[in-house]
Amino acid sequence: MTAPAARSRPFPPVLPVSQPLLGFAALALAGLLLALFAQQQAAASVYWLIGLGFGFILQRSRLCFAGAFRDLLLSRDGRLMRAILLGLLIATAGFSLFMARLVPDPSIGGLPPAAHVLPVGLHLVVGGLAFGIGMVLAGGCVSGTLFRVGEGYVGSMVALLGILAGLEVAAHTWNWWWQVHIGQAPLLWLPQLLGHGGAVALTFGALAAAYLLVLWVESGAPPALAFKRQAAPPAVGFRDRLQALEHRIFVRGWPAGVGGAALGVLNLGSYVYDHPLGVTGQLSSWSDRLAGLLGLSAPPLLGVDRFAGCNLALGDGGWLNATFTLEVGLVAGAFIAALLASEFKLRVPRQRLRYAQFLGGGVLMGYGAGIGIGCTIGAFFSALPSLALSAWVFAPSLLAGAFLGVQVIKRLP
Amino acid sequence: MLLDVRGEMCPYPAMRTKQTLKGLANGEALEVLTDHPPALATVPFEGARQGYEADIDPLGPGEWRITLRKVATSYDPKAVMQRVSARLAELEVEA
Repeated sequence: MTAPAARSRPFPPVLPVSQPLLGFAALALAGLLLALFAQQQAAASVYWLIGLGFGFILQRSRLCFAGAFRDLLLSRDGRLMRAILLGLLIATAGFSLFMARLVPDPSIGGLPPAAHVLPVGLHLVVGGLAFGIGMVLAGGCVSGTLFRVGEGYVGSMVALLGILAGLEVAAHTWNWWWQVHIGQAPLLWLPQLLGHGGAVALTFGALAAAYLLVLWVESGAPPALAFKRQAAPPAVGFRDRLQALEHRIFVRGWPAGVGGAALGVLNLGSYVYDHPLGVTGQLSSWSDRLAGLLGLSAPPLLGVDRFAGCNLALGDGGWLNATFTLEVGLVAGAFIAALLASEFKLRVPRQRLRYAQFLGGGVLMGYGAGIGIGCTIGAFFSALPSLALSAWVFAPSLLAGAFLGVQVIKRLP
Repeated sequence: MLLDVRGEMCPYPAMRTKQTLKGLANGEALEVLTDHPPALATVPFEGARQGYEADIDPLGPGEWRITLRKVATSYDPKAVMQRVSARLAELEVEA
């Protein structure tokens, strides 16, 4: 075959400076911002670090929640889902110990502060379905879209606009949802029903069952989908070993399981400091702020102070806060990680249809995250370790939505 | 044959590969151009399922060429996967 480069359309040229060099510059800038944030507000600087770590982990391990649901259904590939289940297991172990300390006797009726224990009801099913379809159409969930923005995916930038629009639509319909349904939906915390031990045992058992189900689905595929890692070349001396380590962390992508475990630990760290990970609450305040410029801001939201999680927010708060730095940090962390690995590239979809697909997927995700009170992170990856029953309603709805989304993309050119 | 899926993200690189392989003349190789790192795992998987062996070459920052060649007669998917993963390890890419 002839060289394909000659036949293909040239793409935007790569950056004139070496990417790792730019990565170090960006890292230095991130450090400078850390000092700046620390002077203003301690929490903002801590969440800047957590956001950077969040984006770094997602980019390095390519941990994609949308892909986890989609690949299981589309190609019987469960590697990403197993990685997420591992992260959930780790986060559950940590969250449950921490919550047992916060609320020693759950039978009295108090909920652990900041835990993502969400109202259980039909809104989770509708929100999960919309979100599941949307994330498959948009090629990534909300956190996936944010980290791909940092890697240079133009399609994900379009999806982000859709997410913001969808969140604003959700904010405008929130009060209706609250009055007819969410207002009466109970906050069900498993330790209240089963005690701490029973809740943890049930959650671990359910995670194990989910893991076995994934293995069963995978076993139906022709050849085994597991890549065996090859032994690294022998490292002689400290310098070699240091280089090998640097390569493993910054250049070579991480196995998905390492990413899942790291994200579970990061989530625990975030909760111990203040609150579990979540991304859509802050995005909704941005969308409302933008809508306000057009005179379309949402009315005061009913009941959003009754529970903790990725509740919709209006755009009337200040700019610099912990959740703002988390969000921007996620994009920046993925950007830095991509540069250090020489993987940054402006990736422009060539089919016009993709733009519509990503925008539409984003709108569905934004709406689903608005009424479902969170995305794959807030209402799933943080709610499940919070031992909230809501996560076990939201997750199957996500899966069902992803199934519908897969049917749609199979029919798109 | 050449399949240029640069600009596309999951699941399209693997889906396009699957479709293209089905219409390929017997014995013809397929070159897939991609700039989506996760495709380095999904495209060789798709190939291996249909009896193709994959070779991966980096073309530049964030760009790769995956060459899929039909394995002569009966093939051992496990052996094919091992050869692909060995090549990925050489390139220091974890797919």
